[in-house]
Amino acid sequence: MVEEFDELERELREQLQPRSAPPGFAARVVARAAEQQPDAASRFAWLRGNSSGSGTRHPVWQWATVAAAAVAMLLGGVEHQHQQRIEGEHARAQVMLALRITAATLKDVNEKINQPVQASQAPNTVESR
Amino acid sequence: MDDSPQQFRELVEQHQSRVYSIALRILGDTGAAEEVAQDVFLELHRTLRRLEGEQHVSSWLRKVACHRATDALRRRAARADMAAEEFCDEIAHQAEAQEFSPLMNRVEQLLLTLPAQQRAVMVMRYQEDLEPEDIAIELGMPLATVRSHLHRALKLLRQKAQCTLKEYSRG
Repeated sequence: MVEEFDELERELREQLQPRSAPPGFAARVVARAAEQQPDAASRFAWLRGNSSGSGTRHPVWQWATVAAAAVAMLLGGVEHQHQQRIEGEHARAQVMLALRITAATLKDVNEKINQPVQASQAPNTVESR
Repeated sequence: MDDSPQQFRELVEQHQSRVYSIALRILGDTGAAEEVAQDVFLELHRTLRRLEGEQHVSSWLRKVACHRATDALRRRAARADMAAEEFCDEIAHQAEAQEFSPLMNRVEQLLLTLPAQQRAVMVMRYQEDLEPEDIAIELGMPLATVRSHLHRALKLLRQKAQCTLKEYSRG
């Protein structure tokens, strides 16, 4: 059994020597790698300043553009928040005014309801005397 | 490592046979093996800067070739898990029809009848001449699993080799 395994292992070692890759394999791989590279390079080319479309802009200007865009976005966000707070305060003031008007109206109505009762009760008390 | 075109070409030329052979012996198909081997080298090209030295590149290529080939095999759902008895029937039919690829030797053909994991471990052991401990590290498997795969694969191959001998002596 052990000898059979040894024989099989010997045959495996002999027959599983690396085979040659197909002719032109290396050239095809290198060509595909070269095709891949421009894609990856062009993805961030605008940051490096070597994009064919934008000429040769200085990297400082490109970073300044990025920074300006970031600041603009930040300021836009702050302004939006400020605007929302003002609108909220305005709405709150309107609600408070509406409540005050309602309370005053209710008070007037209440006074008007109570007045005739008091007026009708007063003569009776005089008569009873 | 340096990923210049010259350095990359040298690495491809140096390792192409090993990577292609790993893929071929796991997949059993020259077209699919070339496709997998090319993808492995393109992945190397993207990773090269992170690899440290020749030894690292060599072990990385072996590991990735093995994983990519077994992944491709699973996708193809090849008849990898054929039992020894089924194989005997199959071999009888193929011996009559001469369906095996003339480009592959007898051991390679027998290897293709093993389950994917056993096939990968056998290629690492007998083509790449790695010890079971190194195979366990490279393929990320427990050592006991590697030993079990090797033992089962050898046993299956022995059974199958006997079947082929019977069939060919009959023919």
